[in-house]
This record gives sequence, C-alpha cells and structure tokens, in this order.
Amino acid sequence: MVKPKQSLYWCFMGMLWLLTLPAMGQTREVDLSPVSGTYAIQNVNIIQAPGRKIDLGTIVIKDGLILSVGKSVPIPADAQIVKADSMYVYPGFIDGLSHTGVPKPKNDPIDRSKIKDPGNPPDELAGIQPQREVRALLDPKEKSVDALRSVGFTTVHTVPYGGMLPGQGAIILLTGKTGDEMIYRDNVSLFSQLKGAQRIYPNTVIGVMAKYRDLYRKASYSKEYQARYSGNTPGMVRPGQNRVEEAFYPVIDKQQPVTFLAEKVLDIQRVLTLQRDLDFSLVLAEVKQGWDLTDKIKASGAKVFLSLDMPKIEEDKKDSTDTMNPEKEALEKRKLEMKRKYYQQPATLKNSGTRFGFSTLGTKNSDLKTNLHKLLEYGMSEDDVLAALTTHPAELLGVSQALGTLDPGKIANLVITDTAYFAEKSNVKYVFVDGKFYSYEKKKERRPRVEKTVAGTWSYSTETSNGTVTGKIVIQGDPGNYSGMVSNNFNGQTVNATGISVNGEQMTITYTLTIDANMLNIEITATLDGDAFEGTMAVSNFGSFPIEGQKDPGSKN
Amino acid sequence: MIKNVAPIVLLFLVGNLYGQQKGSVLIKNGTVITVTQGIKENTDVYIKDGLIRKIGGGLSAPKDTKVIDATGLYVTPGIIDAHSHIALDAINEATSPVTSEVWTGDAVNPLDISIYRALAGGVTISHAMHGSANAIGGQCETIKHRYGTVDPDELKMAGAPRTIKFALGENPTRVHGSGNKILPRTRMGVEQVFRRSFSEAREYQQAWDTYNAKKDQKGFKGMPPKYDLRLKTLADVLAGDIIIHCHSYRSDEIYMLMNVCRDFGIKRLVFQHVNEGFKVAPELAEFGAMASVFSDWWAYKFEVYYSTAYNAAILTENGVVTSINSDSGELIRHLYHEAAKTQKYGGLSDDQAMAMITINPARQLGIEDRVGSLETGKEGDVAIFKNHPLSIYAIPMYTLVDGVVRFDRENDADDMRIYVDPEEKIEVTLAVSDSDTDRCMQDTEFLFKE
Repeated sequence: MVKPKQSLYWCFMGMLWLLTLPAMGQTREVDLSPVSGTYAIQNVNIIQAPGRKIDLGTIVIKDGLILSVGKSVPIPADAQIVKADSMYVYPGFIDGLSHTGVPKPKNDPIDRSKIKDPGNPPDELAGIQPQREVRALLDPKEKSVDALRSVGFTTVHTVPYGGMLPGQGAIILLTGKTGDEMIYRDNVSLFSQLKGAQRIYPNTVIGVMAKYRDLYRKASYSKEYQARYSGNTPGMVRPGQNRVEEAFYPVIDKQQPVTFLAEKVLDIQRVLTLQRDLDFSLVLAEVKQGWDLTDKIKASGAKVFLSLDMPKIEEDKKDSTDTMNPEKEALEKRKLEMKRKYYQQPATLKNSGTRFGFSTLGTKNSDLKTNLHKLLEYGMSEDDVLAALTTHPAELLGVSQALGTLDPGKIANLVITDTAYFAEKSNVKYVFVDGKFYSYEKKKERRPRVEKTVAGTWSYSTETSNGTVTGKIVIQGDPGNYSGMVSNNFNGQTVNATGISVNGEQMTITYTLTIDANMLNIEITATLDGDAFEGTMAVSNFGSFPIEGQKDPGSKN
Repeated sequence: MIKNVAPIVLLFLVGNLYGQQKGSVLIKNGTVITVTQGIKENTDVYIKDGLIRKIGGGLSAPKDTKVIDATGLYVTPGIIDAHSHIALDAINEATSPVTSEVWTGDAVNPLDISIYRALAGGVTISHAMHGSANAIGGQCETIKHRYGTVDPDELKMAGAPRTIKFALGENPTRVHGSGNKILPRTRMGVEQVFRRSFSEAREYQQAWDTYNAKKDQKGFKGMPPKYDLRLKTLADVLAGDIIIHCHSYRSDEIYMLMNVCRDFGIKRLVFQHVNEGFKVAPELAEFGAMASVFSDWWAYKFEVYYSTAYNAAILTENGVVTSINSDSGELIRHLYHEAAKTQKYGGLSDDQAMAMITINPARQLGIEDRVGSLETGKEGDVAIFKNHPLSIYAIPMYTLVDGVVRFDRENDADDMRIYVDPEEKIEVTLAVSDSDTDRCMQDTEFLFKE
C-alpha cells in the first residue's frame, strides 16, 4: 500500500524524470557518476610503501589523487566513507608486462594466397608491425582488465599481441571508458619477441635475430640520412618514408627502450646478444630462468621484470618411497631442485643487487596471489615482494613521481584487503584506480559444484614441430557420456574421438589419425578454465606439443 | 645446512662466470699419438692454463696440478667434427633460397645433452652448421665442447674463421622449387642462385665502397646504399673472410661450384658429403677445395646412390684434405670407428686415418694452427683411449677441452643434464628419439606435407 502523500511525491518525481529525459538524449545507459569523487577510508592499516606503515589511520582521496594520509586527517564534508574498518590498504600493484585490455586476436590461419614468395612476405604477415600503437587496440571492457584489477593491480605496461615486433607498449590505468582514457603514458616501449612467423620469413630464431639486426641497421642509416636531409635539402635525394624503420628512431636515440619478452635462460641471452650488437636500452620482461645470469644481466644494464608464472611445487611430497624406483626418485629430486630455482629467482636477483618488478603476462590470475605468497618461503620478505609490486616497477617504468606509494599528491591507486595481503586467507575487497572505486565483495559461498558440461564446439590450436595446427573439437552428450569428433587443418581429416573424459578440471580426449598409412594415436590432456583449455597433445612417436582451445561463442553449453 | 650450501652454489657460479675455463693437467706415461709428429711411447703431456706446454718423458708439474695416469692408454688430439648439428635450437631458416644473413651462432644451445655424448666419444670441437634446405644457407659456428655452462658464448670458439653453408641438388630444389614453386627448381637454377647472389653482393660492396670514399668530402649530398645484412655477408664471402662449406653429392655439381667460385675469385671452399668426390678428386685438389665425407653412408635419396666407401681414401691419395664427419648426434660418438673404416676400405695409414678426424677437419675450419694435433703451444684438447683409437676395442676414457676434464668414464653420472624440465613426465611409450640421424633438413618438414 502506498500512502496518498507518498504517491503524490512519486508522481511528481516521475514527471521530473520524464522532463529530464530529452536532455539525457542518447546517453541513458551511461554509468552514473558517483555522488562525489571524494572518498575517505578510515581506521585502516595503511602500508604507504614497503616498510612504511600507519596503524589505523585515514586516507582521503579527491579528484583522482591522494589528498591526505595520516593518523588523524580531516575528512571533507562531501567524502563518501569506505567501509574498511581495520582492513589493510596498499599502493595499487604495477604489472611490468601483459596484454591486459587488448582483445586476443583470432588465431586465423594466414591467407597464404597473399604470399607470393615465403622468403619476402608482407611485413604485417611476418609479424613486423613496430609502428602499431597499443592505444588503438585497447578495450576497457576486455575481461582481462577487471580480472587483473580484482587481484589488486591498478597499473599495467600493456603491449599488443603479435610476432617479432608487435608494436609499441603503453602504461595504462585499469579504469576509464575508452582506450584513450586508460592511457597513462603512451608509446613507452618497442615491444619485441624472438617469435618467428608461420612458414614464412623469418620463421626460426636465427631468422628473427638476423632480421632484427637488418631492420635496426637499416633504420640507423635512414635516420642518419633523414637528419641530414632536413638540415640541407637542396640537391639531396628525397628519402622515402618507412613506418617500420621510423618506429626504431626513438630506440636508436635511446629515448625509448626495447621491451623484450625473454623467458628462458637461452632466450634471455639471445636478447642480450642483440642488445650488445645493436646497443639499445633494454627491458627484459617475463623472465623465468634468470637465476644463472645475474652478472650478465647486471652488466647489460637491462631493467628486469620477473614472471610470476612458476611450476607448481610441493615441497614435502612424502609418498611411498619404497615403491619408487631409484631412477625415478633421482629424477623427481632433480625436478624439485629445478622448481625451487624458479621460486628462488627473485631472491637470487635481489641478493645480486638487481631491482626488478613482476610481469603477469603468462600467469593465470588465480595463481598470482598463491605464487607471490610462496616467494616468502624462498628468500623474499613481505617488503621485498611489495616493493617488486609497487615502488620498484614504478621506478623501472619511470613513473614513481605519480605512482607506487600512498603519498599525498600521487594518483589514487589503492588496493584494500580484508586482512593483511600476505595473510593466508586475505581477499581483495576494494580497489581504487585513478580515484575510481571498485568493490569486490566476497563471492557467496559456492554451491555444491555441478559438473559443467564440455559439450559444444571448441576451436583448438597446437604448436607442433610442423608448425601451428588448428581445428575443431565437437563434443556431444552429457557428463560421463561424451562423444565427439576432431578435425585438423594438417591433413584435413575429421575423425571420431575414441574417448572423451572429464575429471574435475582435467579433460582427456583421444583419437587416431591416419597419415601416410601410419596410425597416429593422439591424446589431448588439458586443464579446463571456464570456456578455455590449455594442455598438451601427445602424438605417438612424435612427442608432446602445447595445445590451447576455447569454446566457440554461442555453441551449446 | 643452508649455510653450507652457499659456498658450493657460489663455486658453481664462479665456474660459470669464467666458463672459458682453462685447466692445467699432467698426463703421464701414455702412448701419445700426435698425428703430425708421429707416435711417442711412454710420454707425458703437460697442459698449463689450457695450452700444451711440453710433450716429453718424465715431466713434472707444480704440486697441485691434476695428474692423469695414462699408462697403457692412448693420448690423441681431441676429435673434431666438421659437420654437425648438435647444440643448436634452430638449423634451417628454410623460407628463402638465400639466407646468408642468418647465423647458427644465434641458436647455440649449451644445455644440449648431445654435447656430453660427443665428449664421451672423444669429440672436443664440432662445426655447428646451418642445414641444407637453401642454396645459400646461413653462417655456421665452430664450437668447443665446454659442457657445463649455460652461456652459449662460452661454447663458441673465439677467433675461429667464419663459415657459411651452401647446398646443391635435391634439398634446395625440393624445398624451394617443388615446395614453394620458386627458383631454384632445377640444378641449373641452383647455379643461377649462386651467380645472381654473388653478382648482387659485388654490386652492393661497390656501392658502399663508393659511398664510403665520398661521404667525408665537403658538401657531399649522397644517400647511403640500402643496408642489407644478406648481401653484406655474401660480400664478406667474396672478400675471403668466410669459408664456404657446401652440401654436395654429384660430381657435375661439385665441378660447377668450383667454376662459380673461380669466376668470383673465391678460394676457400670445403665440400660436405661429397659422395661423388672420388670422380673429381684431381680437380678438387687442383682447386684447393677440401672434402668432408661420411665413411660409408649413402643411398638415402636418389642423388646419393653412386657412392663408395673408398671415397675418403681416393680423395686423400689424390691430395685432397679430407675429413670424416658425423652429421649426426649418434655417429659423433664413434668418429674414431668411422675413421678406422678408411683402413679397411683404402688401406690408409694410422696417421692418415687419424688425420681424418683431427688435423684435417681443423684445416677445413681454419683452426689448424690451434688444434687438431698434439704439439707444444696448441690448445689442450685431448682424448684418452683404452686400446688404440682405430681399434674396434677402443674405449674413450677421458676427454679434455682447454685442459679441463669434461668427460671422465670413471665419473660419469647418470643424469648429466644441466637444466631439467620441472614438469617433465616419464613417457615411456611416447618418448621422442633425440638421436635423429639427419638433422640437415630440420625445420623444413612442413614444406613437404600435402
């Protein structure tokens, strides 16, 4: 029942709303701005920077900046109070390298009819697009943005997907309604990878490195001539314009670093070889196996971002050693020692006096916190880890005036956790990016898990020794009773799967291909992650290859 | 416990840092097969800081020098393989018929267990070659088997001459002609690729020479020629700075390449495989071209049917510097047996047979003044055998590189890998054989699928 007086009130309000409609025009669906851009977080434990803590203090945020931080600071009248009593607040984390905010391009096989000579393909098919700016590719609604923000990251050095020279990276804030709004600083790096093109030049690592030298030196000569030409035009042949070469100019001037993806011990050294040959400022990113290279890295002057993608480790796996044969035991021991190296890497670099940040490029979001916590068991302190998430990457990216600590005047990038971040069961509750408020209330208790069906059409892609092979896996039926077919673009066959089983997150698919009268038994073992999977494809006698796939949108769930 | 680990870890790191490590060792009382200066019974070899300092009887060394008792053992120069693809992560940039700009030195993999296996066969140096998919393939790298480092640079034999891989016949015509429908489709096309490339390189170098001569003149307004690493490398071949190592089988083509080289003034030429070399042995000798052959391996494709196990002997007797190579991670472990086959087929002397795997490959790689024989002043690369190395009973006991023991049969752990894959699974049924016999065409398989 609505009382008469109230109904009159609502009637009036309704008319008012109707009147405002034309003024709002097309923008009805726009997010409403918060009532006020001023926030106060009271009675929280403030970790302003590694080693600087205020117990139960207050932070005030206004106009996207941190206005004040302290034990008792005045709270403006228009401030919204964030309910964070006794929680913990840290500077927002900074990611040294990922594709956050960039939609993953479809893995379409390239149109080979466009390639007349595989030795001289068009630049863009060869993965040579250094002139491309990531800004044009950014989509703030891309799911990676919220996913990374929800675990505490607020700032990212993001780069395009691609081949050996995918384009220019930018430092973005994980907020904003357009790509432009996300940009904190544009064109901060020339992103490079030792990644060959598929079946065209440069295909192998030796091709990529030779091509890199060739392009770089071509650019050096053309830059030199361009400079002479603009100063002394008459009588000089007009130099042609070349976007690829021009993209190298800021690098040659050392105004822009090359950020190289360099995961493994040999990748890193190959990149250092290129740097030694060509003499550019270098950022090594997504480093996974740098523990034996501390001196070499130091001597190069390269900046370093370590990968947070590490092999799963179980230290005290005490199983029935009596049944394990000595050979297997020795192998398991070596594997464990090797795994430890990955976790010890940050401490190893720290002890060698190298400052580093972290990069999340190859890490699943769900592993980030677990892996960061694990580092505490392998020689890193909480402050060390926090520094590598905040102050050190801010320095390495040249943004420490504005980012990396909770000090008045800095950009309001904060992460608030219900208990100390490094406590076992901490949860990110709120994140501020550029003063914008994001709430991550703890998800409701999970209902008993219902096995999700894998039925539907999946597109997969696998890197075999014969190049990339793609195809579809069509799965029908219900959990426990699946059947399906697998196609491939290698020989064009579509065959029935001989077995499809799902156990928790693990999916196994087996089938047989006949190639040149040889029967190849193939087993795909993959881990499901929502509508995607990642794993290996074992082909009898030919070894195992990485495979990934995703469910086609709109296909049956 | 942890405290005790640190110094060990540190020692290991120091070892890595100075990986181009030089060792000192005194090898006592062995039968020393010098290859170039005859056989010396009951003789000592003293290596200090990586170099052979003395060879003779009753030598002494400072107290802390490692001593190997070689009584009853044979001491030989470290074996050299002039054709190998071990320790490489990439072999063929098979996308273009000319790829002189690429370099296997960029793909050296010091973690490859094949290096240790080669050491276990007495091999101390190998020529890590580009494959044979392209008429003009990539530059190669001469590596010393300093196994135990993660640094590719430490494997590289600093100062060794640059080399480049060329290829004749079926491989380049198959990959580019049949595979991609471009030049070269025939053997004539391969010659055309060489002649065109050398002509372009000559023009390229002339353009740069002209530019460099004028660029510092006052008021010079010219534009530099377009830089091109591919042509620059070929210009270096024309200048004699790079030795050509050419994959070859048929005599007509071998003769063709000598003519091409003559026309372009190229003198440093080594033929690889050379199965029909015996047909043009005097011509090879006259040119000064060398030959690196298999002992008795042929008929694996059509152009390799006309072959003989007497090839090495015939070439040698005609004055061609000849070596026996492996081209294989498996054959490399018993090159001493391969060399011995030249005694069965052709009756070569011990010295001639040993030269096939020591000083002759060294000459082909341009490193004969540093390695390939046991002489004072040369580098301390040594293999020590139980039984004569050309005997079927030969067993490699120690292998030393720069005076450092890199293989010791008595201390040969089961798992000698440097890095292991932390996620490796034991796959009994799906194991991949890594002793592939022919890696010459690796990375090209995709070109042949229908």
